[in-house]
Amino acid sequence: MESKRRKSSTNSGPPLIPPSKRFQANGEGPAPPEPMEEEDFDVDVFLEEALLRDEELMESGVEGLAARLSKWKRKTVTSFDSRSSNIVFQQLDIDYIVGESEKDSTSGRAGPAAILRIFGVTEEGNSVCCHVHGFEPYFYISCLEDVGPDDIPKLRQALEGRMREANRNSKSPSFVTKIEVVQKRSLMYFQLQKSRPFLKITVALPTMVAGCRGILERGINIDGLGQKCFLTYESNVLFALRFMIDCEIVGGNWIELPAGKYRETTRKMSYCQLELDTSYKNVISHSSTGQYSKLAPFRILSFDIECAGRKGHFPEPEQDPVIQIANLVTVQGEQRPMVRSVLTLKACSPIVGADVMSFDTEKEVLLAWRDLIREVDPDIIIGYNICKFDLPYLIERAQVLKIGDFPLIGRIRNSRVRVRDTSFSSRQYGTRESKEVTIEGRVQFDLLQVMQRDYKLSSYSLNSVSAHFLGEQKEDVHHSIISDLQNGNPETRRRLAVYCLKDAYLPQRLLDKLMFMYNYIEMARVTGVPISFLLSRGQSIKVLSQILRKSRQRNFIVPNLKSQGGGQEGFEGATVLEAKAGFYEKPIATLDFASLYPSIMMAYNLCYCTLVKAEDLNKLNLAPEMVSRTPSGETFAKVTLEKGILPEILEELLSARKRAKADLKEAKDPFEKAVLDGRQLALKISANSVYGFTGATVGQLPCLEISSSVTSYGRQMIEHTKNLVEQHFNLSKGYEHQAEVVYGDTDSVMVQFGVHSVEEAMKLGREAAEIISGTFTKPIKLEFEKVYFPFLLISKKRYAGLYWTKTNTYDKMDTKGIETVRRDNCLLVKNLVNECLHKILVERDVAGAVQYVKNTISDLLMNRVDLSLLVITKGLTKTGDDYAVKAAHVELAERMRKRDAATAPTVGDRVPYVIIKAAKGAKAYEKSEDPIFVLENNIPIDPHYYLENQLSKPLLRIFEPILKNASKELLHGSHTRAVSISTPSNSGIMKFAKKQLSCIGCKTPISDESQTLCGHCNGREAELYQKTVVNVRELEQLFGRLWTQCQRCQGSLHQDVLCTSRDCPIFYRRKKAQKDLAEAEVQLDRWQF
Amino acid sequence: MEVDTLRCLDGGFPRKQATYTPQDEKYELRRQRYKGQQYSHLYYCRLHKFREILTSAVKERWPRFPVCTILALEDGKDCVVIGTLYKQMRLKPSILDEYSKERSHVALAKPENFTCPDDYLILEDESGRIKLVGDNVVPSHYVTGVVVAICGQEGKDGEFNVQGILEPNLPPQHPHPNNTVLDDKYVAFVSGFKIGRNDSNPLQVQLLVDHLTGHLGEEQEQSLSAQIVRLIIAGDSVELQNNLLTGQSVSSKEQAKLIEPIKELDLILTQIAASMPIDIMPGPNDPSNFSLPQQPLHKCLFPGATVYSTFLTGTNPHQFELDGVQFLGTSGQNIDDLDKYSEGGDRLDFMERTLRWRHLAPTAPDTLGCYPFTDRDPFVIESCPHVYFCGNQPSYSSRMIKGPGGQMVLLVCIPRFYDTGSAVLVNLRTLQCHLLAFSTTFC
Repeated sequence: MESKRRKSSTNSGPPLIPPSKRFQANGEGPAPPEPMEEEDFDVDVFLEEALLRDEELMESGVEGLAARLSKWKRKTVTSFDSRSSNIVFQQLDIDYIVGESEKDSTSGRAGPAAILRIFGVTEEGNSVCCHVHGFEPYFYISCLEDVGPDDIPKLRQALEGRMREANRNSKSPSFVTKIEVVQKRSLMYFQLQKSRPFLKITVALPTMVAGCRGILERGINIDGLGQKCFLTYESNVLFALRFMIDCEIVGGNWIELPAGKYRETTRKMSYCQLELDTSYKNVISHSSTGQYSKLAPFRILSFDIECAGRKGHFPEPEQDPVIQIANLVTVQGEQRPMVRSVLTLKACSPIVGADVMSFDTEKEVLLAWRDLIREVDPDIIIGYNICKFDLPYLIERAQVLKIGDFPLIGRIRNSRVRVRDTSFSSRQYGTRESKEVTIEGRVQFDLLQVMQRDYKLSSYSLNSVSAHFLGEQKEDVHHSIISDLQNGNPETRRRLAVYCLKDAYLPQRLLDKLMFMYNYIEMARVTGVPISFLLSRGQSIKVLSQILRKSRQRNFIVPNLKSQGGGQEGFEGATVLEAKAGFYEKPIATLDFASLYPSIMMAYNLCYCTLVKAEDLNKLNLAPEMVSRTPSGETFAKVTLEKGILPEILEELLSARKRAKADLKEAKDPFEKAVLDGRQLALKISANSVYGFTGATVGQLPCLEISSSVTSYGRQMIEHTKNLVEQHFNLSKGYEHQAEVVYGDTDSVMVQFGVHSVEEAMKLGREAAEIISGTFTKPIKLEFEKVYFPFLLISKKRYAGLYWTKTNTYDKMDTKGIETVRRDNCLLVKNLVNECLHKILVERDVAGAVQYVKNTISDLLMNRVDLSLLVITKGLTKTGDDYAVKAAHVELAERMRKRDAATAPTVGDRVPYVIIKAAKGAKAYEKSEDPIFVLENNIPIDPHYYLENQLSKPLLRIFEPILKNASKELLHGSHTRAVSISTPSNSGIMKFAKKQLSCIGCKTPISDESQTLCGHCNGREAELYQKTVVNVRELEQLFGRLWTQCQRCQGSLHQDVLCTSRDCPIFYRRKKAQKDLAEAEVQLDRWQF
Repeated sequence: MEVDTLRCLDGGFPRKQATYTPQDEKYELRRQRYKGQQYSHLYYCRLHKFREILTSAVKERWPRFPVCTILALEDGKDCVVIGTLYKQMRLKPSILDEYSKERSHVALAKPENFTCPDDYLILEDESGRIKLVGDNVVPSHYVTGVVVAICGQEGKDGEFNVQGILEPNLPPQHPHPNNTVLDDKYVAFVSGFKIGRNDSNPLQVQLLVDHLTGHLGEEQEQSLSAQIVRLIIAGDSVELQNNLLTGQSVSSKEQAKLIEPIKELDLILTQIAASMPIDIMPGPNDPSNFSLPQQPLHKCLFPGATVYSTFLTGTNPHQFELDGVQFLGTSGQNIDDLDKYSEGGDRLDFMERTLRWRHLAPTAPDTLGCYPFTDRDPFVIESCPHVYFCGNQPSYSSRMIKGPGGQMVLLVCIPRFYDTGSAVLVNLRTLQCHLLAFSTTFC
């Protein structure tokens, strides 16, 4: 019933599984394994209980819906004969289910067996579900010296007994199906003999692998041999991955079922057009080259839901209805979506180019969506934050409404979709709480997760992501307005539907623009893991997959080692040469090591299987020339003795990358280019993650000997390069100038050759790269890539410069570590830093930059800075009580709730604020205020906060290498003396103040209300009028540009702008322009036309 | 001061007179103020107005096709839709560009024209919008904000295949008073004095003033001058000293600089007003508001000229009647904007288009600053002028165009005086026009 039950089932729905069948959920063995990074478990799903009773499904009951949906069906399958036609398809997802074993494919054994399901799409666009029978889970254990062949039945008996004990309720007739002796070699440590016996243990079901592993590792009492512990090998490989490795299937590749070797399933279990049965021996996997490099025309559904939240609350499925669901379906490779449809609750006016389907009840909306998914049959479901919000919301909402038939959106008939909480933690990506919704046969691809993984951005809201990548602002309708629109008329609901459709389209556009489909499928193909792993798991599974594949070819088996020695001990990391801070006005050549760490591993043959254990060093009696000692003191066998598999993997990755890059140059077709570029990027990332894998102390197969050797070589090389450059390029060797290394990072060295032109620096750079490369073991190579000129070196990992690769013009301005995009910086900082760098580097005008800073600071103090530049934004992740320390944005959210609960930010929102002037001694968190409130009430901002907490650090960082006394000059000069503070219109004192008109020219109070100017200023009318009118002019201009931009964003001229996106840089400006203009006009009015 | 005595030129020629009726009320904002209005109302009023105009024309042109809204379109069925055009332009500058991360991406040199071959048109009405496709639609010809009726059918992709476009065409015209005007009278047009620019030539302006006031030349010239019944200054009389008006406090010396050009202009205007009637319109660089319709220049700027009843400050656009001849014109912003956002042969083409679209400034408010009217669209041309002029153009040109109802309109581009030293004279009786050029150098 529930599609996949994992270790802890947290759903709150009615228990659908009889208690007696829950055994698998707890059948992990007595002691739970320690929490690991990316601990993966196989979880068996039983066929008979995965399905509802096979009653035919009810239509959602809305008349005519079926007909409207049916036009989007897939093309019907052209008739074929299983005896004469081959079936070729691209697989997208592989999972398994437990069912009765097929008689002809297994070893004649009865009882439940794992059946793998491969979901995919043929070239013609037909969906395929292929059941693969006969593949059995297995793992290896070391065969102890004194265990003879006769002892194997005893071991089997003992293991079987222990397993039965642990799983009393299992109806499986046997657990351990087979134990055989195989000749293999452990991947760990260098050994001279080529193979030795291991025991291969085959079990009935995938989950039993973990159980057996636990028993064997902790020790088992074998009749006649006593208590024995075993080291297990490859016992932590997910079953689907095991199958893929053994059948040489990589993620997203093409599979062929030859004619006569498969048959059509008699009793169809899925909604796929083709449902086939075959044995794992018949599956042909094509490597992704030539005609099999293409992508099948799979269907991608992008969707977005809208909920009618209550005022002041973030929508909760227990209470708030789903009112609209927008869907876009695109066929891979096509430019335009084939389906654009929106399902709405209550009538909605039609939308051009979109199918609007309106329903009277929420139940009908949800069921219609289910039907739509079933008819459209998407292979991939994308969206923004769908995994954490949209999908769980829909499913939980259906539970609340007691629509039992709703979550049947997977590809398996009658199989319900369930939600469970997961937390994903990885060293690279950090810990992330999320929900997992398993939709069988459909791959989920949440663009939010992808963005968080692949890009470092200051904000991940859909608005700022689309602003960043698509260059346009997204209209943002505040959730308090959504309910109003829903409660309006068909027109207002249409307005909402248009917005909802746009939100559904953006993920698809991001997917296209950033070529995620190509890149991710390439990544899956290169690393050999299913596409779904790429998002749900970290880096190490990818490396592990490659190691397992390579080991299988070389007859190695991978031990199940867990964290070495607690994992806390670190090792010395990369070297960073001392930065000689300063502003360099001579060209700086940068010498880079191309893929330094992979190259080191290849050059010195660093691998698990070449590492010589210290105690083995003498025992094995290896000649000194056969091994290499690394700078960190480890010993590795040289290639002549044993070629490492990591170097082999890396070689393949890098040479494939080289090929892809060469092909990329040749390629003309944009699609082909996209695929190749995706591939070369995937290859690069994979190559770099191999080193990290060996160093991940809580990883799958850590080996600090390797990683510390790599970094020690790296350090040595940087030092070596530095010395060589300085020894070679100097006056005594006949060069005109003395070369100086100004800075060196992990894999690059920056050299000032002393020459003045970029061209000369490039020439010397190339020469240096060549000379120094010659001194390294291949394939380590130093490359000359770029020249920085001018170059501003601030400190370690912080620098900026103009980046030259050609001699005629610079390519771009390159900055590292200069925080222009940090989240908690206001826009003013970013603009100021960018402008200064531009002035210093491009215009070479340091004085101008200083003046610019002074003007900006003066503007800030004189209250002339646009408020939108001062807004700081922070995400509200939990309510005020949950924060240990009082934070500015949390306090503000609390205050805003007291003012108006409807529009106050709630958990999950981003809270924008500015820092205002407050009573002396007020805490920083008390000084935050809502920018709109500040605008409306003329509240003075606190310029000193901005000066000291926001501007000073980044500014001093830039100017200290350039300017003497930078702090004094910039932050305390004469420009800081004039200060202007506006009077708040809502403060207590203003209630007692009497307003009196003053002369526009000199601010002298004037008693006669009909006068504009005082007696002294009479005669200056023309001049003063000009000033007033110019102010109005500028505001009018701004007003027009801002409001028409918002019209363009919302895509309608005839409707009012509703957007309240606080992420949008012009939101506050728009508001401010409106207000300022009204005020300026009052001034103008005094001139009495 | 009574000016009647001054109506004789120095040479004794009496200056001819013409009956002047100002018609600027529709462009006056009065006490309307910015109170949070949005531009959607303006588009709505415009669409509504044109729907009235176009509906009858559609019946004539495509009698068999039904008129429907974009919502009511059906796949493959021929029909006519009336809606506002929106031109999607890749190169259109946006205020959001200021925020783009990559500084180098912001084009440093602003191109003169933002059209590109990728541009496409969208038709929008209150119910929705639809992309226009087909060979019958030329995006470069149109701009955002024009209201048209389009005949065609909706295709599969939700696009509209255009078969024909119906523009409102010239509005009805009052008959030209050929029979009542018996002798030649001229109206002089000038624009772009740009007083206050460092390199402006005061002598050239003075020559114009002397010519108009009859202080120049022989009797023949003076008699010609006496036939000029009115001078229209179509904008950009001064160059605003923007650098001095940034809000920073300025020294008294610079204050004087600020006021000097205005003083100089006042002096010139006083001389002319003493001799003949003048209308002065605000232009893009005058000390007036920025958005269209620009309000009359404040009289406090001209303490001298204001004294004369012959001195009138008008709005931009400016509309008036002289001896029954209808005049309508702008200081050039509307036409300059069309030049940026569409393509055409010359400035007169753009002027003709605005007449055929019956709209003075279709790009307002999209790319042309404009007051957010809520109850009307003052830029709709409801009756066809006899003379349609446009100030601050690069060069002088004129053309007579004919409308379907026999309307005859004289289009005049008034060159910038600052660049060309030229003014334009239009004969009220014949609607012929010619250039009046001044030069301070000897040939």
